[in-house]
Amino acid sequence: MSIKHHKPLLSLENFSFGYDSDKEPLLKNLTFSIHPQETILCIGPSGSGKSSLSLCLNGLYPEAVEGWAKGEIMYNGTPLSHFKKGEINKEIGVVFQDPESQFCMVTVENELAFTLENMKTPREEMTGKIDDMLSAVGLTEEKHRAIHELSGGNKQKVALASVLLLNPTLLILDEPTANLDPVSRLEFIELIYSLKQERGFALFIIDHQLDDWLPLMDRVIAINRRGNILLEGKPEDVFYNEAEKLKEEGIHIPRIVETVLDRQEGKVPETYRPLSEADLGSWMNVTGQMTSLISEKIQPFDSGANEVSEVLSIRNISFSRGKQSILKGIDLSLQSGELIAIVGKNGAGKSTLLQVMSGILAPKTGSRLLLNKQYEAWSEHEMRKVMGYVFQNPEHQFITDTVYEEIAFGMKINGVNQDKIEQNVNQLLKRFRLTSHKWSNPFALSGGQKRRLSVATMLEDTPSVLLFDEPTFGQDAQTTEELMQMIQTLQRQGTAIVFVTHDMDLVDTYCEKVYVVYGGEVSFSGKPDELWERPEILHHAKLRLPFRVRINRLLENLHPNEKKQGGVRAHANIH
Amino acid sequence: MLTSINPTMKALAVLIPALLLAFTFDPLTPFIYLVFTVAVTFLFGKVAFKRWIAMFSPFLLLAGSFAWMTMLHPSDTFSGGDVLFAIWSFQVTSDSFWAGISLGLRSLSFAALSLLFILTTDSTKFMLSLMQQCKLPPKLTFGILAGYRFLPTFRYELQVLRQAHRIRGVGRARGVKERLHQFRRYAIPLFANAIRKAERVALAMESKGFTGETDRTHYHEMTIDKRDWVFVSLFFVMFFVSVLLSYQLGFLNIFGNHF
Repeated sequence: MSIKHHKPLLSLENFSFGYDSDKEPLLKNLTFSIHPQETILCIGPSGSGKSSLSLCLNGLYPEAVEGWAKGEIMYNGTPLSHFKKGEINKEIGVVFQDPESQFCMVTVENELAFTLENMKTPREEMTGKIDDMLSAVGLTEEKHRAIHELSGGNKQKVALASVLLLNPTLLILDEPTANLDPVSRLEFIELIYSLKQERGFALFIIDHQLDDWLPLMDRVIAINRRGNILLEGKPEDVFYNEAEKLKEEGIHIPRIVETVLDRQEGKVPETYRPLSEADLGSWMNVTGQMTSLISEKIQPFDSGANEVSEVLSIRNISFSRGKQSILKGIDLSLQSGELIAIVGKNGAGKSTLLQVMSGILAPKTGSRLLLNKQYEAWSEHEMRKVMGYVFQNPEHQFITDTVYEEIAFGMKINGVNQDKIEQNVNQLLKRFRLTSHKWSNPFALSGGQKRRLSVATMLEDTPSVLLFDEPTFGQDAQTTEELMQMIQTLQRQGTAIVFVTHDMDLVDTYCEKVYVVYGGEVSFSGKPDELWERPEILHHAKLRLPFRVRINRLLENLHPNEKKQGGVRAHANIH
Repeated sequence: MLTSINPTMKALAVLIPALLLAFTFDPLTPFIYLVFTVAVTFLFGKVAFKRWIAMFSPFLLLAGSFAWMTMLHPSDTFSGGDVLFAIWSFQVTSDSFWAGISLGLRSLSFAALSLLFILTTDSTKFMLSLMQQCKLPPKLTFGILAGYRFLPTFRYELQVLRQAHRIRGVGRARGVKERLHQFRRYAIPLFANAIRKAERVALAMESKGFTGETDRTHYHEMTIDKRDWVFVSLFFVMFFVSVLLSYQLGFLNIFGNHF
């Protein structure tokens, strides 16, 4: 591409930014530029200041937070500070991570109008512009609907539409898909791609989930923990040549790259370095790496060592809220040491099912057994000892002022003596690597630490059942990995685990059994590998095949003769 | 048709007669006005009777108890007249009876006027109209609108918190001290979240070019035209008509003075 010949659209020279002038700056001496129509991916570990950078780039920081900045950011050669308030925002738009908190109006139509009003667009032109934009992002049908009724994916599309109405030359996306399920994420990324082709804005994307963005990237900028630029360059160079360096910083390598590196033991020829799944497929084909990706199912439980028994079972459970029936005739059974996943699209009733299993909600009909005893026969107090529940947002579970008290809380209620408490808490702190934060406020911890603490609080005794509501939602890959390690340790001790999740890779790697909930009913239950063979169920429940299976399908389709059923599966690859 | 009346003008048309009605102590004036208000609600507003009565019935109960209290405990001004009936030691005189009925009807008139406004007005349009007609600053207008969006989220979060705390084994709070403690436990995460969200929304609004300047265009142009004036006048005129009518029939009583 001949991008380099143009003048840069946005350029940073020795730019530093910090919240507190006494402390070390968050971003240090950044120098880079963004050219017109270029697509840049910005990566870095959590807490490296990427989100702050995005707000510096469109001129909202440092003013909005009373922070300080050194060095200049120039837009078309003019420092950002020289622009009048609100002017630069018309050139540089941002879509943020949280779909719940970027709107100020009730309906889609009014939210889009809000942007146009800010730009002083004449009233006569507004309706036309709103309708055009809605059809561009595919939300024409939703024009008059209330935003809070929309799905997460559609909310992000509304956010995108209202920013694109500014007609920006640079669009910044700050983890826009972190809170979306995998199918919506892919849809959003494809939408961005087609809009970029049409409108030719430059893109600056911050994200942890790199795989689906990769094919679109011109350049990658990696920021390290200390807020310096670690690497900058073409995606092939950055990921294939510097993988070790990235891993050291806790940045995850895209799975496509990892697959190639694993098979080549690190030596990859410059000529062919795939960045998309299709390219990976043909690379494996060309290099004769036709062996499909094997299931790396991690089995923490060597059956036979422990005796397996049923810990929880529910029969014919129905639940309704008002007149609306949410669960219909659900059967589910859980063995000790088992890890099962409950999956399905938003609003299918997954979380309600989990709440019924936890005893927080009482079903309308059906029977529930926990350790062979009816739920109704359990006292609340005893039930909580044998069954834990980890909420999606760890903050909701915190009830005390320090990490120590948080872990000790349950034991204190149960009247455990002080020495024993002290001993147990210290053990848990050590196991969850929280010892150095013993006296910190739970709310002041980092995302990963909060997640670890929320699990630790459930483990004063080893529970028989542990329920998780979307534990990996909006978390980076490292936190997810840590969590899964903890869970496997628990499994080995015989705890049965239930997961509500959207992450099919997680299901593929860790789960023995998966339940698909669709319209309040279980539409599939069985081994994950069997689920991957059921395109119709995957399609209606809006599930995306895991990476491993997607690549294997690609390979099968490249050689349809060798595998007899290859052609039948073409449809499933869309997801 | 009521939905298309300018919300600020509608608020005026409802508010001022309600204030004036507070001074009429006879039963007929508020009764005429009540009938008028209800008639307008159903003739010109597309209000479902079921929804209206569901919201109106609690006021019936309230007005009834107001009236009853006034009858049993009248002030000196209204204790004259013949004794109509007696319950235990309470004697209800004709004056106090009518004063009670009047108070009940006034309360119902207020309720009917409020419902007329609430059921036919879009909250967004009301705020936009306050900004465009009453020069409410845009920062405040859009701030309130953004806050309004958070109300359902807030309720949902409180529900999740309750469940999460129950899972942790926190029992139902007993006693004032424990309740205070529990309030604090709920309040911190709720406020922490609210502040974070407010900050995010503010940033999102600014990044869409919002500056708080009053110089902006309006997608929903809220205008005041002849119809709005007619509407307000109708409500004013009707007040004086009902006063005149009660005067003619010899009922009128303003602030305790009979005319």
